[in-house]
Order: sequence, then structure tokens, then C-alpha cells
Amino acid sequence: MQQLNFEKTKKLLEKYKLPFVKSFLLKSEKAISSAVSKIGFPAVLKISSPDIVHKSDVGGVKLDLQNQEQVLSAYSEILKNIKRKKPRAKIEGLLLQKTESGQEVIVGMKRDPQFDAVLMFGLGGIFVEILKDVSFRIAPIYKQEAIEMIKEIKAVKLLTGARGKKPVNIEAIANILVKTGKLALENKKILQLDFNPIIVNEKTAKIIDARIIVE
Amino acid sequence: MYNLDPIFNPRSIALIGASRDPNSVGQGILKNLLKGSVFYSEFAKGFSGNIYPVNPNTSEILGLKCYPSIKAVEDEIDLAIIATPAKTVPSVLKACIAKKVKGIIVISAGFAELGKQGQKLQEEIKNLALKAKIPLIGPNCLGIIRPSKNLNASFAPSMPPQGKIAFVSQSGAIADSIIDWAISNRYGFSTLISYGNKAILDVPDFLEWLENEPETKAIAIYMEGVNDGKRFIEIAKKVTKTKPIIALKSGRTKRGISAIASHTGSLAGSYEIYKTAFKQSNIFLATTIEELFDLAKALADQPPVKENAVAIVTNGGGCGVLCTDHCTRFGVNIVELKKTTIKKLDATKKMHPAYSKSNPLDIIGDALPEQYSIAINTLLDENYIHGLIIIQTLQTMTNPEEDAKIVIEAKKRHPEKAIICTYMGGKYSQRSIRLLESHSIPDYNDLKKSAKAMWALIERGKQLKKKE
Repeated sequence: MQQLNFEKTKKLLEKYKLPFVKSFLLKSEKAISSAVSKIGFPAVLKISSPDIVHKSDVGGVKLDLQNQEQVLSAYSEILKNIKRKKPRAKIEGLLLQKTESGQEVIVGMKRDPQFDAVLMFGLGGIFVEILKDVSFRIAPIYKQEAIEMIKEIKAVKLLTGARGKKPVNIEAIANILVKTGKLALENKKILQLDFNPIIVNEKTAKIIDARIIVE
Repeated sequence: MYNLDPIFNPRSIALIGASRDPNSVGQGILKNLLKGSVFYSEFAKGFSGNIYPVNPNTSEILGLKCYPSIKAVEDEIDLAIIATPAKTVPSVLKACIAKKVKGIIVISAGFAELGKQGQKLQEEIKNLALKAKIPLIGPNCLGIIRPSKNLNASFAPSMPPQGKIAFVSQSGAIADSIIDWAISNRYGFSTLISYGNKAILDVPDFLEWLENEPETKAIAIYMEGVNDGKRFIEIAKKVTKTKPIIALKSGRTKRGISAIASHTGSLAGSYEIYKTAFKQSNIFLATTIEELFDLAKALADQPPVKENAVAIVTNGGGCGVLCTDHCTRFGVNIVELKKTTIKKLDATKKMHPAYSKSNPLDIIGDALPEQYSIAINTLLDENYIHGLIIIQTLQTMTNPEEDAKIVIEAKKRHPEKAIICTYMGGKYSQRSIRLLESHSIPDYNDLKKSAKAMWALIERGKQLKKKE
């Protein structure tokens, strides 16, 4: 069992037209200036390593970077943190991403011996981890089923416009669910995957972090 | 796809492992074949086709000629029941295949539920049956029962009444305890299948057969796990288009799961995943045995509710309010009564001056059959009301049997509308409850159960409207 590396993950998502946030994998400091000019600010920089699951726990994430200098100093700081806390981790590079704003949601898949690809949907953070407010479907699913699945969670009002918030684009999440089902059914070597978080707002849904576990 | 008719509608049966020992499984099955039951039941009759006991050590059992081998039987055999020790089963099975029997039930235990050695033995009989393309139930099962065919091919103690519900159970013990309960509650079955270790035939195969079985109106399942989840969903989706399915799945907790592993050798998928599979195939999920059969009764006897608009008639105010609470919790819409409906009720000049004039329609404690009749028929005649819950509490002037007859007559006038009765009480209500249920009107002794039953009929209506 191992985690798919960044390049392969990105390729796979592109193949299935899964919307990954605009990202550049930086292999050296030199690559920063051309990457920031394409992404703009504010930006996020984070460690990319198959050996590190909880990136922020090891100081591997820097948010809200406003200019190139901040990206530069974040770059060396992250590398320093990793060297100290995870000296043996294999580092693919540092990932520079555009900052997305909106509601965090999670889409996951688990391969089951009896039912094959089981999809999961939930809101990010405590909603999944503590309240276990999630819904499931067995793939393949169609868009209407995906929409029903999204609306099944208890905290659905956070997506449909609670307390004056704008309702998010539920169809965009539904599309991710449908495509994830297709991806899972066509790639049997994938055992589990997490798109966590996906950030969704009234316009779009973007996958910020993709963790794909293969045989 | 296997042809299961020879198993469920056999003309001739061979029992390999028939025994002279009155305490043996082999003799229990033979008695059930001959008389329908070992424990007395008014619903039991013996099988009318040919029965051939096979046992090389004796020439006669219970007055029947006993054959040394299945080969020695001259007649064609539809169904062979094997109840010999596990290690002998492969050779017995080979003899059955050579005899060209059309279907097999392996009752014997000592297979996958017993670890590696048993697993090997099970693989052996599985491969034999697969190669011969012969349908096989079991091993490690109780057998099957078909009340309408006077067929008790099991070692269950007795035969339940004939009815509209098929019960498919991975556990034999649950199936036979249900039979005892069913006899005392007059709960009828079209078919009972205990399928044990599912070496060949599994739930999807039984669902496919039951889909076209004319007596069966609803299918209740107790399962620990299925072998092929994808096929289960595919077939269940198809079958639920014509017949409702209700399932009870064990292994909800981690403790429950380890009990299964040592119990039937089945790998339980996680409960959440099964719940999802049920939802996607329009299967009702029951969480207790009682709920499984409560829902099956309503779904077998009553039509789906076309629109979520239900009324309650009651002679007890408290019960009406409680029932409304339960209904609301389940999402059953207790519809507002139109002024024109109240006018019709008033115009009869027979209603109690203090009757509620709203839904729930409280016709007051001293209601006689006449008040029940007016209330029930007026509400059922309204085309905006699609389901009716009738509550009766017992007062000095209450006439439960007359009230039951009124319900039965009203149902005849409106077969398209769902009716659920709640006769609150015990001893004095029994006869009328039996009368209702013998006319396919389900009664529950509990308001929450009635509300849940109505919910199920509304859900069934939604399922049938749903398009792929």
C-alpha cells in the first residue's frame, strides 16, 4: 500500500476532468518567481511528500502568502520544519497553490470487497472527524443520486445558505462525486482516496488536496 | 441463472440421511415431509408427492421403504435433501449428480463455519455443484418451507400458516423461532428459506425466483453478508420494482461482526455500506426482527400510498395525539381536513357533539359502530386522503368485532387506499384483530408501529414513482 505521488495524482485528476486547484510543484527556490506570476496572491505553500499525511502538524503548510518574499521565506521555513520533525520523509517538492475561499467539504472512496467502490461525502473538519456527519453511495452514481447524497448530511444547510451565506454550487460537488465514482471503477488498483479538502463556493468547487492510496 | 422450481415446487423428494433415530435431524426432516410438522400445527399437512428416504443401514423408516442409495430409486428426483455427516457430503453429492436430481439442499453442518478444514470441504461441494450446473441451498442450513405446497423440507419444528410473505434467512435459528411465533400470531408465509453458508445459491438467486412467485407479495430478509454485492444491488433494484423487500442486517457493531465470523463463516461488510446498498436498491431497512415482520405485513397487505396525505380516526383523544406525534416524526403528513368534509360529517347528524372536526378525527370514547362507519367511509371517500389509520380503544359500549367488519367493508370499497388499524388493548380485542388480519388489514398494538407502517407504505409509493 502506498500513496500516489503528486505528478501521477495530478495526471489522473486531469484525465477525469476533476477540478484541481491551480498548483505548481516547486523543486527549487528558482522556480518560485515564474510560479507566483501564474498563480497570483494570496497563495498557499505546502510540503508534498508521500510520507507526510498531516501536513500542518509538522509545520508543512503556510497560508495567506501575500508576495514573493513571503513565499520565499515560507519555502525555507517549511523545509527547515520538515528536516527537524520528519527527517526521513521523502520530499517531492513544495506545492504552491492559489488560495480558494468557501466551504470545506470532503469526497472519499473506499474499495469494499463485496460492493467495490463506495463513495463518501461530508463537510470538512469536525463535521467528519467528530460528528461523523457523512453520507455514502456505491458507485456508479448519476448526478441526481450525487445531489441526493450531498443533501443527505445533517449539516446540509451550511451548503444551501444558512445565516445569510450564499448557497454553494452543489452541482459542482455532484460532478466531482460522479467522476470520482468513474475513476474508482476504472482504476481497480486504487484502494482508497480522499479529496480533503475540496473548497466550494457559489461558483466553483476545487480539490485542494488529493490523497490516493494504491496497492 | 438456475431454475429453482424443482427445489420449491418439487414433485418428488429424496432424503439422504433419513434416520431411525427419533432425535436425529434426518428423522425430523422425514416427519416434516410426511406430516408437515413434528410439533402439532393446524396449518400442517404432509407432502403429497413421492418421498424417498435413503439410508444403507435400514430397509424401512416410519412406514416408508428405505433405499440403500439414491441410485436405487427408480423414480426421477426433483429435490434431494442431504443430511449426512459433513465429510460424507461430497460423495453423496456426486451420487445425486449422477442420478440427475434437479435441485439440492445440504442441511449438514461442518463447513465454512468451522474454519479451514470445513472451508475446504465447502469448496469441494461448491465445485461439484458448479460443474454439474445444479442449484444447491446450504450447507449448514435449516431447509425450506412452502406452506401452500404442504412442503416442509426442513428440521424446523412446525409449519407456519400460508401467506404472502417470503422470508429468506441466513440464520436457521431465526427462521425456526419465527415459525413458532407465526403460528401463535397467524402470521402467514409463502416461502421460508434458510440458506446457511451460501456455497452456491445466495440472496440474489432467491430474490430472482421470488420475483415471479405468484403468492409472494413482500420479501423479508435476514442477512449477515452477501458474496457478490454488485449482483445483489442489481437484482434487488429489479425486484423492488414489483415487490417490496425489507432487510435486517446483523453486524452493526464490531462485537456483532466477530460473532458472525465464528458463526457462519461470513465476512461482514461494514454496516454502513450495506445500509447504503439497501437504500440504493429500494430495500427497507429493519433494525429488529419485530420491525422486519411488522413492515413486511403492511407492505404485503396494503397498497402503496399514492400521496403523502393521511387521516386518523380514533375514539381516544390521547391516542390520536400520540399517533400524530409518531407520524410527524416519520414524515407522515396528517392532512388538514377540508371544510366540506366536516360538513358531510355534520350533515349525518350522528356525530357526537364534541367530536374533533379535525385530523386526527376524534369521534369520542362512546363511539358506536355507526360513528366509526360514518367517519371511516366519509374520510376514505375524499380523494385528497390516501391513507387511514384507525384507532380503537375499548370502552363499555365499544363493539370491536362490528367495528372490524366496518373496516373490512370500507376497504372493499377503497382497495386503492392504505388502511392500518390500531386496536389498543389485549384479550378483548384478539378476535376482531384476527378478523381484520384475515382480511389483509394489518393491525398493530402500538401507535408507533402503525405510524411506521404507514410511513413504509408512503415510501413504497415514492419508490414506485421514482425513475432511473
